[in-house]
Amino acid sequence: MMTFIVAFLLTLGLAFTVQAETKSLMMATTTSTEDTGLLDYLMPQFEKDTGITLKWTATGTGKALKLGETCDVDVLLVHAPSAEKKFIESGFGKDRKEVMYNDFVIIGPEADPAGIKGKSLAETLTAVKDKQALFMSRGDDSGTHKTEQELWKKAGLQLPDKETWYVSTGQGMLATITVAQEKNGYTMTDRGTYIKYNSQNKGNAPLKILVEGDKNLLNQYSVLTLDPKHCPKAKYDLALEYLNWMASPKAQKLIADFLLVGEQLFFPNAK
Amino acid sequence: MTQDHPIYHLKNIRHYYGQKKILDIDDLDIRSGSITGLMGPNGSGKSTLLKMLAFALKPTKGRIFYKGREESGFSPEVRLKVTLLTQKPYLLKRTVFDNIIYGLKIRNDHHNLEERVKTALSKVGLDFQTFSHRKWHQLSGGEAQRVALAARLILKPEVLLLDEPIASVDTKSAELIRAASLKARDDWGTTLVIASHDLQWLYSITENQVSIFNGNLFPTGIETIITGPFEKTGDHRCVKKLTGGQALLLKAPGQNEENAVVRKENIRIESLEQPFKDGINRMSGHISAMLLERESNHVLVTVLVQDLSFVLKLSPDRIGSLGLYPGKTITLGFLPEDVEWF
Amino acid sequence: MDFIAEGFVKAVGLLINGDSSIWSAVLATLKVSACSLLISTGAGLPCGFMVGYFDFKGKKQLRTVLDTLLALPTVFIGLMVYAFISRQGILGDFGLLFNLSGIVIGLTILAFPVVTAITASTIEGIDPELKLTLVSLGAGKRHILFTCLWEVRYGILTAIVNAYGRVSTEVGIAMMIGGNIKYHTRTITTAIALETNKGMFADGIALGLVLITIAFLVNLSLSFLRKQ
Repeated sequence: MMTFIVAFLLTLGLAFTVQAETKSLMMATTTSTEDTGLLDYLMPQFEKDTGITLKWTATGTGKALKLGETCDVDVLLVHAPSAEKKFIESGFGKDRKEVMYNDFVIIGPEADPAGIKGKSLAETLTAVKDKQALFMSRGDDSGTHKTEQELWKKAGLQLPDKETWYVSTGQGMLATITVAQEKNGYTMTDRGTYIKYNSQNKGNAPLKILVEGDKNLLNQYSVLTLDPKHCPKAKYDLALEYLNWMASPKAQKLIADFLLVGEQLFFPNAK
Repeated sequence: MTQDHPIYHLKNIRHYYGQKKILDIDDLDIRSGSITGLMGPNGSGKSTLLKMLAFALKPTKGRIFYKGREESGFSPEVRLKVTLLTQKPYLLKRTVFDNIIYGLKIRNDHHNLEERVKTALSKVGLDFQTFSHRKWHQLSGGEAQRVALAARLILKPEVLLLDEPIASVDTKSAELIRAASLKARDDWGTTLVIASHDLQWLYSITENQVSIFNGNLFPTGIETIITGPFEKTGDHRCVKKLTGGQALLLKAPGQNEENAVVRKENIRIESLEQPFKDGINRMSGHISAMLLERESNHVLVTVLVQDLSFVLKLSPDRIGSLGLYPGKTITLGFLPEDVEWF
Repeated sequence: MDFIAEGFVKAVGLLINGDSSIWSAVLATLKVSACSLLISTGAGLPCGFMVGYFDFKGKKQLRTVLDTLLALPTVFIGLMVYAFISRQGILGDFGLLFNLSGIVIGLTILAFPVVTAITASTIEGIDPELKLTLVSLGAGKRHILFTCLWEVRYGILTAIVNAYGRVSTEVGIAMMIGGNIKYHTRTITTAIALETNKGMFADGIALGLVLITIAFLVNLSLSFLRKQ
């Protein structure tokens, strides 16, 4: 009986370990920055330079913007420029700084049943629709999802929400790629996450990049601070420090040096 | 210690369980230091009465006086002086030693515990070395009951209530329990109230007896109860038919009165010199038991008449002159008017 | 099959090497489980005792409510707590969202009905002779409470272990309220749920092994105590 009590008390002791709440900053970001491991890579350096502990939750851009609107976080790192601009216009965000970009690619099984390899973006989407090929969508109001939806419109096609071949996973990027792999389908992903996915498969992932390079596939990441007038409790000063740090030459170089399987995932472009 | 007041005085106790009345006692006195026997069949209300005397149960209506002071409800101070030993030995899930000192622990008494436990165990015939570290599940039924008794004796209670103390134990344990209880009375003046349906045993150790039937108390001890069904005849009379066919004529009951009692003093024995007159219920039966009532030195005679059992109290001389013995055939009688209803 | 076996091998390696993201998830789980257990037991034991011991009007209805609460899906609890502790909610200013404290609130709500309902059943199952015995030995209300609880300690222990099982293995609350923040609110279960479908199979297995081991140890000690 005694040993049990002692063990229980020890566990309690753990529970009450002082959580050093030094300077901490809460960020909402996208799954692509988290899944690729970029944030894990940058965070220790940020903490060393500023003494601020960065905590982040990876949801989709849509949810992240919502968290900013409800003041549940202090800063955002997202990639949906038009939504971001609206965010600032609505008075929820104050500063916006573009910090890095990569591009989106369309990936799919090597066998390529819809025959989209090398085609233009518009042709690709039309082919997918005509062949009723399985296409996985993020379906989670994320930056990637918003961009993907834009692409269907730009190709002159109706949003295939209700089609059976169009699968909305409602999950993050890596998770969606996993679903596509399981079902041998196509999906649109940012290059960074694809490289991460490929590296997990020792550089020989079942899904390959089939379509790339279209100017509509540009993926711009920005840091947004919250407007103190709207969110007085948000840590504005620390958020600004983060924004400036991400745009600093040092951080920009770190971003450029972040490689997986010898490839660069994100391209710094802070002005 | 004045003996002006009996240790218990119960007045007008009416106890209900839902709509059903379980106890109906006008008056009950128990003398301090006495050994009282409580007789009655199962379900008669014995256990309920004992719980009330233990202040573990509050009567729906009525008053209970302890040592002259009216006590209400659960009386925390008095409860510390009264203990009850239940029929089934119930021990706490701990060692014998810890069980016995439980009562002392909650009274904040930590004085000289080992010695006292040793004494208590010896009183019930259990060896300290062997038993004090045994767990509750490592005892026989009789041993467990003895431990339970020891746990109460160690408290030197003013009142010790025993509910069927020997009903579920072996002979040796029964004897030890009896001896220990009596010793408590002799050493400390503890009042004992013992409920049992073993008449013989009860009469052998108690000084006075009360009986309960259907919640009704008979301070005169065991009495003859006649239960239904009864047949109503027109003229303020009713009839009880025995299995053999004989019909007994009884005074009619009042409202809500279901059972009849014929007190010992109203039962007569027919003899050649004094034959019964007309109008008396005349029954033939045989003597099934004869018990000595210690206090009065009289003999209780039980007579079986077909399916009924009659009880009379006779002096030893009378027994001798009538030449009574168990097994003898005898003729009894009682008048219809001598029947009381309740 | 190679895939799974390889995962196991990698998992053991991660555990032995003390991979910090894995062990921080273990620590987070232990912290929130212990905290929520402590609070829910402290509140649930007396409540369970009262519900089981006393007879009162509406007792049956209360038991029904309790038993229904037992069946609440964890994500629903997560949703409700989220509504309260997000900045828009009543308790928004306490910064409980995305924090272990917020998770503790949700887990406590989850565990409380478990402890209460099982304790109440245990108490109801007590031999009525026990109360009579205690009263006849002079026990007052406080003594009756503590002695009764001690007498049924195995039943109560079962309640606590049951509650522990629920809080340490649930995902919904930890995910919705904690946000699965690495090194901070990532627990064993959120890590398994959210990392596995990102392809971090070995991590998932490693954490699963830890969870199973803890559960095994808990049940082992329970059966050891039973023998006593």
